[in-house]
Amino acid sequence: MRTTFRLHMPSAYGLAIALFATALAITGPAAAQKPPIKVGEFLDLTGAAATPAEAARLGIDLAVKEINAAGGIDGRKLEVFTADTQTDPTVGVGEIKRLVQQDKVDIVFGPIISQVLMAAAPILNEAKIPQMGATGSELITPKLAPYYFSLLIDADSQAKAMVAQAATALSAKSGAILSDSGAQANSFVEAMKREMESHGLKLTGTQQFQYRAVDMTPQLLALKRGNPDTLFLFPSSGEDGGNALKSLDDLGWNAKVTGNYTIATFAAAVIKGAGKESLHTHDVTGIAYKAFTYCTEADTPKAFLDFVARAKAFRPEQAAHLSMQFAATIYDGVQLMKDAIEANGGKTDGPTITAWIEANAKNHKGILGSLAASPSSHFLIGPDAVTAVYPDRLLEGGIQQRYGC
Amino acid sequence: MQDTLIVLVHGIGIGAVFALVGMSFNVVFNSSGILNFAQGNMLVLGGMFAFLVLPSAPGMGEWFVLLPASALLIAALLAVQGYITLLPLRSSVEQHSWLITTLAVAVIIGAVILIFQGTASQSVRSPFPAFWFLGTRVPAPYAIALALALFWFGVLHWFHTRVLAGLAISAIAQDLDAARAAGIRVRQLQIIAFAISGLIVGSAGFVAAPVIAIANDSGISYALNGFVAAVIGGLGSDLGALVGGLLVGMASMYAAYTYGGEFQDAVSLALLVIVLMIRPEGLFGRPAARRV
Repeated sequence: MRTTFRLHMPSAYGLAIALFATALAITGPAAAQKPPIKVGEFLDLTGAAATPAEAARLGIDLAVKEINAAGGIDGRKLEVFTADTQTDPTVGVGEIKRLVQQDKVDIVFGPIISQVLMAAAPILNEAKIPQMGATGSELITPKLAPYYFSLLIDADSQAKAMVAQAATALSAKSGAILSDSGAQANSFVEAMKREMESHGLKLTGTQQFQYRAVDMTPQLLALKRGNPDTLFLFPSSGEDGGNALKSLDDLGWNAKVTGNYTIATFAAAVIKGAGKESLHTHDVTGIAYKAFTYCTEADTPKAFLDFVARAKAFRPEQAAHLSMQFAATIYDGVQLMKDAIEANGGKTDGPTITAWIEANAKNHKGILGSLAASPSSHFLIGPDAVTAVYPDRLLEGGIQQRYGC
Repeated sequence: MQDTLIVLVHGIGIGAVFALVGMSFNVVFNSSGILNFAQGNMLVLGGMFAFLVLPSAPGMGEWFVLLPASALLIAALLAVQGYITLLPLRSSVEQHSWLITTLAVAVIIGAVILIFQGTASQSVRSPFPAFWFLGTRVPAPYAIALALALFWFGVLHWFHTRVLAGLAISAIAQDLDAARAAGIRVRQLQIIAFAISGLIVGSAGFVAAPVIAIANDSGISYALNGFVAAVIGGLGSDLGALVGGLLVGMASMYAAYTYGGEFQDAVSLALLVIVLMIRPEGLFGRPAARRV
């Protein structure tokens, strides 16, 4: 028995070692040879858009950390390369060239500013790199940037939600529009005209104000002449929204205000400018991602609040002062890109990823829930993903109560 | 008609702010021929000072105490700016490096605000209640800005006609070389003029803080409107800046009411073109002989 043992044991060890070595030879080196997926952070980290860009960066970095911890995408780790556009299209072009030509990134996240994207688009188009950002201009179509998707609520979706809110909740028969003079606001006014016509709402007047306008008395007096049932308010900053409400108060015009995404997202700045009382006086509503809203305290959005907890653990100082909603939006974009790459066997080329997202975004099950994309529109947040909210009814993480709850 | 009157009252209010910026342009221009394009940002700095030092519900007492502090602080800053701007110049009339240095100061102020306060526009509450006009509330800072504009107009008139330093600055404005030959300490008076412009614009920023945009990128708009006010009124004329500022304010507000907010700036510039075509020296300016 001992002899047999002595004779057989070395053979068993040898076999085990040989099998282990073979396994290493097959899997180990192959895994090590798999190159990383290079991720470009193409963000407006300094300049006017620095604050949301920092939030976007937090969302991307957290997603990358979690994906790498789970083994990467299709066995490939993610490697991040960061570029700062300085919120300047000219600088943005130089930075995207560096990312594409020098760092040779496979996928890109950002920017936030439409003008930066429009300037950088030809370089990304030529390299056929899939990209996800948070720009709002309707001028950015699949024709202009075929491999780009936006996670921001577009003007069209905002118009649909705002008109529906006015027509159903307020039973409004007419409305006036006060917007700033930016590119997205111009798209918004056109979309509003279409939507109001389709809902049978009469447009009594449109007025614009310049970015950072403090006194909007002349515009409001002009709109007041039309005696609208509601005032559709479309500012690009919370401060402008607050100033518009303050001017309304000074005029003594108690118009009901149907506000846009800015009124909801930057509610703190709106309240700071006009006071909380003003929001109640004008029955102000805003538009928000459904994923960041609640009806009662028992049905708070768990996926988003889990994200907030993870973000706080990841970078506590940044999470304390940045918009968690914006960070979560970009985070979900990274997860959608991961799904697209995995579903296509690790392919990262623009045409493949684009076709997959156009066909499958509606099946997305992330923080944002179902998304929308088609060959004619690459805005991922469709009208079904947004809702009217009370801007000042806030809970943890900035979640807002849906109108009518 | 009632709406038009309300719009014009608001126009006079914001026009008073433009008039103050225009007068601060004039003080520097008269002494050195320099147009200080940082005046708009200095106005914003005065507003930023109000934002930083005033509590969220300020009392009138602390407001009156801090108003001169704002004026003196911006005056000191402008004196330093004036010294640095004038340092490399033998004659500010013949050399034009001031064009770059004044713009550079404007950019630096904007960048500093961006670094320390971010991109958000800050809001300041006035301790004075709004007054009622035709059933609407008009912010009190508009009335205070108008009173301040009249105050500084009076002070500048007194300074230029009764005070030796003011008379000397008037002499520099007329003929710099002759003034220097007469023994006037030109450089010193030019720096004093910078400081006086700081007193004007620092007090204006503090007073108008509740009705102006206090942000890193808003200075250029006030500089532009103040410059237009000064040119329409006639560069160098304080009465011109006062009237020009009110005209620009009323025209921009009326344009927003009648044609839309997108035409506010365009109307100010159109007004500038029309006045310069009809009267190149401005409404209250005097044609000057030039050596060719």
